[in-house]
Amino acid sequence: MPGSALLSAIAETAINRVLALDEDSQARLLPLNGKRLTLYIDQFPHALTLVFSQRVDVLTELLEHSELVAQLDENSCCIRTSLEVLPKLTQTSQLTQLIRQGELHLDGDLHIAQHTAALFGQLDIDPQEWLSHYTGDVIAHQAGQTLAGFKTQIANALARSRAGISNALTEEKPIGVGKLAVMHFNDEVDALRDDVQRFEARLNALNNEQ
Amino acid sequence: MSDANTPSGTSDTQATPTTQQTHFGFKQVDKAQKASLVANVFDSVAAKYDVMNDLMSLGIHRLWKRYALDCSGVRAGHKVLDIAGGTGDLTAKFSRMVGPGGSVTLADINLSMLKVGRDKLRDKGLVGNIDYVQADAESLPFSDNSFDVVTMAFGLRNVTEKQNALNSIYRVLKPGGRLLVLEFSKPASQHLSKIYDIYSFHILPRMGQIVANDEESYRYLAESIRMHPDQETLKGMFEQAGFEQCDYTNLTGGIVALHRGYKF
Ligand SMILES: C[S@@+](CC[C@H](N)C(=O)[O-])C[C@H]1O[C@@H](n2cnc3c(N)ncnc32)[C@H](O)[C@@H]1O
Repeated sequence: MPGSALLSAIAETAINRVLALDEDSQARLLPLNGKRLTLYIDQFPHALTLVFSQRVDVLTELLEHSELVAQLDENSCCIRTSLEVLPKLTQTSQLTQLIRQGELHLDGDLHIAQHTAALFGQLDIDPQEWLSHYTGDVIAHQAGQTLAGFKTQIANALARSRAGISNALTEEKPIGVGKLAVMHFNDEVDALRDDVQRFEARLNALNNEQ
Repeated sequence: MSDANTPSGTSDTQATPTTQQTHFGFKQVDKAQKASLVANVFDSVAAKYDVMNDLMSLGIHRLWKRYALDCSGVRAGHKVLDIAGGTGDLTAKFSRMVGPGGSVTLADINLSMLKVGRDKLRDKGLVGNIDYVQADAESLPFSDNSFDVVTMAFGLRNVTEKQNALNSIYRVLKPGGRLLVLEFSKPASQHLSKIYDIYSFHILPRMGQIVANDEESYRYLAESIRMHPDQETLKGMFEQAGFEQCDYTNLTGGIVALHRGYKF
């Protein structure tokens, strides 16, 4: 079984789940209805084609880049880039700059790429809402509150410890070292001294032999 | 449901019946009888068909179909025929792939399957570019050179005269169009073959009994798979129908094969 089918299935499920978490993604899908975008990533053996409707279908593209480009119509767009550039694609404003810099090759309708960038770049997901799909609203709300509480506590703790450390450094408090650590340090120095003495003895012996 | 209403003037190349008997699973039956026996099977399984498909194949049938979609080359604006389309898994995807400017025809001989398919697709919001047609693959009621792509997934083995179906599909394809047939086939390795036999003849009918309360239909499924032509034979039948550049890909060790052929 070609693994590519499994990969595209996973990608498709993930994309649609994520889009479903943001109510506004339907509005951002509208201008893409009936269009498709093919993505060739240098490091990947297969390209992926995203087919847009009220959802996103993902296909493994079996055509070579040049073959696909030759067949592009007004409803299609093809992008070729590398893995490192991928995260930058979610910023619509960067697309033309990336093309100019030669980091991204684009054939077909630029608007499709821009709308796709916006579709993913403008995702706004509320974790509480996401959790409610699995746990029900009440638990999700409580979990959300607990999470928010944790966040404040962690932020406070971080702020306190940052202040504490900087005080300790600026006031040059004497730093207490544990008794065990001192003993271990002394042992190591002893062992090193022994090693050096043995090394010296061997050197002397070698010198005498010559 | 819009029934077939455009029978074409051209007739199929009819395969000469060498005998009046054919197989229905492992049984020998009259040729005239087979279609109604197959109809009984799919009437009986229609409601539980999707659940059973997932269960029996552990969901792998979705990947087999996905691979067929990847190989279909279907683009926006295309006209696609999904024959023996049943509950419409492929049709659903095609409908989105061809977009508003294209069209998909979901055709099946069995009204129960077609209805389950139509309801499912409508529930998914897929309306506008899908036609539902009750039709026999052996004598398709469409004009010559009508479709860019024809697919037949897990349907061909149920057809009484398979060669007739391939001839008929060839006729309705446009020049440059392609046919994809996804069907159970012959596992490439003997070990896999043994495991597969145990699964099909012992486990599968029990599952059919427990989940769909229908052991017979699922026994027919296992038997019909064994009686289906193997990869090379089917490729030969494609060529006999006039298809060119015929090839096939084994999936899951040959348990299923995707056959492809072009009309030029
Ligand atoms: C196993 S189902 C496959 C359904 C669907 N293509 C899928 O892959 O899930 C087989 C279908 O073939 C249909 N069928 C059987 N004989 C046929 C024929 N001669 N012409 C058209 N369809 C036929 C049956 O009614 C049934 O819906």
